[in-house]
Amino acid sequence: MSELRRDPIIGRWVIVETANPSHPQEYEYETHVQRGGNCPFCYGNESMTPFEIDSIRDLHTGPNSPGWQVRVVPNKFPALKIEGTLDRRGLGIYDLSNGVGAHEVLVETPYHNKDIPDLLNEEVEKIISMYCRRSLDLAKDKRFKYIMIFKNYGPSAGASVEHPHTQIIALPMVPKNALEEIKGAENYFEFKERCIFCDMIQQELQEKERIIAENNYFVSFCPFVSRFPFEIWIMPKQHYCCFCHLPHEEAPALASILKETISKVKSVFGNLAYNYIIHSAPANGETTTEGYHWHIEFMPKLTRVAGFEWGSGFYVVPTPPELAAKILREQKI
Amino acid sequence: MPELRKDPIIGRWVIIATERATRPDQFSNLAEGAVPEEKDCPFCEGNESKTPPEVYSIRQKHTAANTPGWELRAIPNISPFLRIEGEIGRRGRGMYDLMNGVGAHEVIVETNKHTANIADLSEEQISKVITCYIDRIIDLEKDKRFKYVLVFKNYGWAAGAGKIKHSRSQLIATPVNPKRVKEELVGARQYYDYHERCVFCDLIKQELEAKERVILDLDGFVAVAPFAARFPFETWIFPKKHSCDFVSLDMEGRLNLARILKQTLLKLKIGANDPPYNYIIHTAPFRRQKSGYWKSIDHDYHWHIEIMPRLTRVAGFEWGTGFYICPLQPEDAAKFLREVKI
Repeated sequence: MSELRRDPIIGRWVIVETANPSHPQEYEYETHVQRGGNCPFCYGNESMTPFEIDSIRDLHTGPNSPGWQVRVVPNKFPALKIEGTLDRRGLGIYDLSNGVGAHEVLVETPYHNKDIPDLLNEEVEKIISMYCRRSLDLAKDKRFKYIMIFKNYGPSAGASVEHPHTQIIALPMVPKNALEEIKGAENYFEFKERCIFCDMIQQELQEKERIIAENNYFVSFCPFVSRFPFEIWIMPKQHYCCFCHLPHEEAPALASILKETISKVKSVFGNLAYNYIIHSAPANGETTTEGYHWHIEFMPKLTRVAGFEWGSGFYVVPTPPELAAKILREQKI
Repeated sequence: MPELRKDPIIGRWVIIATERATRPDQFSNLAEGAVPEEKDCPFCEGNESKTPPEVYSIRQKHTAANTPGWELRAIPNISPFLRIEGEIGRRGRGMYDLMNGVGAHEVIVETNKHTANIADLSEEQISKVITCYIDRIIDLEKDKRFKYVLVFKNYGWAAGAGKIKHSRSQLIATPVNPKRVKEELVGARQYYDYHERCVFCDLIKQELEAKERVILDLDGFVAVAPFAARFPFETWIFPKKHSCDFVSLDMEGRLNLARILKQTLLKLKIGANDPPYNYIIHTAPFRRQKSGYWKSIDHDYHWHIEIMPRLTRVAGFEWGTGFYICPLQPEDAAKFLREVKI
């Protein structure tokens, strides 16, 4: 018998195969070898990208030249454009708006073949501090209501350039999924006067069976209501709603748990494709500081989303999160 | 300038990305060739013993169940997501809620020949497939544990199909109303509360007047590229006459639906290089006597089919936001498909 589990935040049900769970070797998924070639994100090729917006680089080196460790450039094919004011309008029964927003690419490392597990903790920390810097800077633009930071790694996760990079998109409205999550958390807060994520962390740390890794400031675990096999959430133990307010002393801890978590996943599955997304409170709006709690959702690309998932919003998880967490917890890196 | 468009029913925003626009004929199939086909098809005539016993079939007189002589068969899925036996057993675990994975999961084998795409079947055969959907939904409604039956098709590897290229669809009966379905129902009801009109009827009317997103207008049905399409070549098929329940479709309607479905899928196959796709039947949930919640559903909801070709990959942005980035304007997609000769 499988189990139906309900997400306590947004009310989505998922089907967890508890009776006959799949083990890592039973998945058919794409792994990939970096092919290299002439890459616009590689060190020395700075002239192949649009002008950089920000970078962490050696003293006395100029922008758009070598000497950098992390570099942010505008997306060459932006989904949204930075110029213009938001112009919402109607068309019969339809509503539309021009596509105002920012779309940036953060090149995580000068090395073409180094993903987060291959970097030093200090290098990962630079990526994280740049995430914060860009969020804070973009939030100054009052047109933007949400800053979305996400990584697509590997072709089947949607990466079109293989050099490891993260994308940052600033949106003129709070997107539907974020809104649902925020509303769900607010409802819980209204009812219990506690943060649902804080409650979740507490229950997870008590039960322990879904925990993968933990340090002073962060915990990484497979959520009770995973949508995907080996889905992982990384959460700050301390309650705060915005990722960009990451305290200085917590950054090394985040770098270390992010690296540890992805390293474990890659030790089990090889160079698989994955996405991660930073879930944070909206910018420039009514921010709910009490009810929301920022976190990272990590989703390895092991299954394909098909008609049932699209039509129902149900997800099917062949490996229970308890088993996934056990495998990852015990995995040596 | 890219455009943000809002789905009028559930309020989902979509980015029509003009900057990264792709010409209609430039989408490539997602690594389809790399997937080897499995031999020994359990869905072919003569291999009935390789599947669980059938729950439904359309077959020649005097042939027994689970033997050759059939034109169409419905069988339980051999590795079902949900199982038919048992009680629902709702319970809590700390802050979490859960219940048993009770439901039905069936496979509808659409032909006894080893044909991959339903577009290549005859209209008559497709109308039998539609009849099978309807008969199965009616039968599953009798089981009081179930609230909804989702009928869908996965065609091609990228769309989630297995390695056996034999045309089939699936249905899943669920013990709760799925979230996506609820969202759509709630959206349609809100529109109705405000306008006292069906949002889908309004949408059809506007599309037939504007014409630019209409792909086919045929025998009481219309196929359109939705204004806020999530995927290139996304297509919705509506009955022009208002009806909330797919099950109420009469024999003539089934044949007409088969015709427009076949023509739409053929245009997609020819025009977009046989892409992987999903289609999903969106219909009203079981309307059993209970609170007044569903009372207006006969007026505010309108069943339809959504076809989603899988030519783009859903990545971090879509997962995180629920925004979709569509690199092809629905107007261009509709024009292109309208002009594809079949």
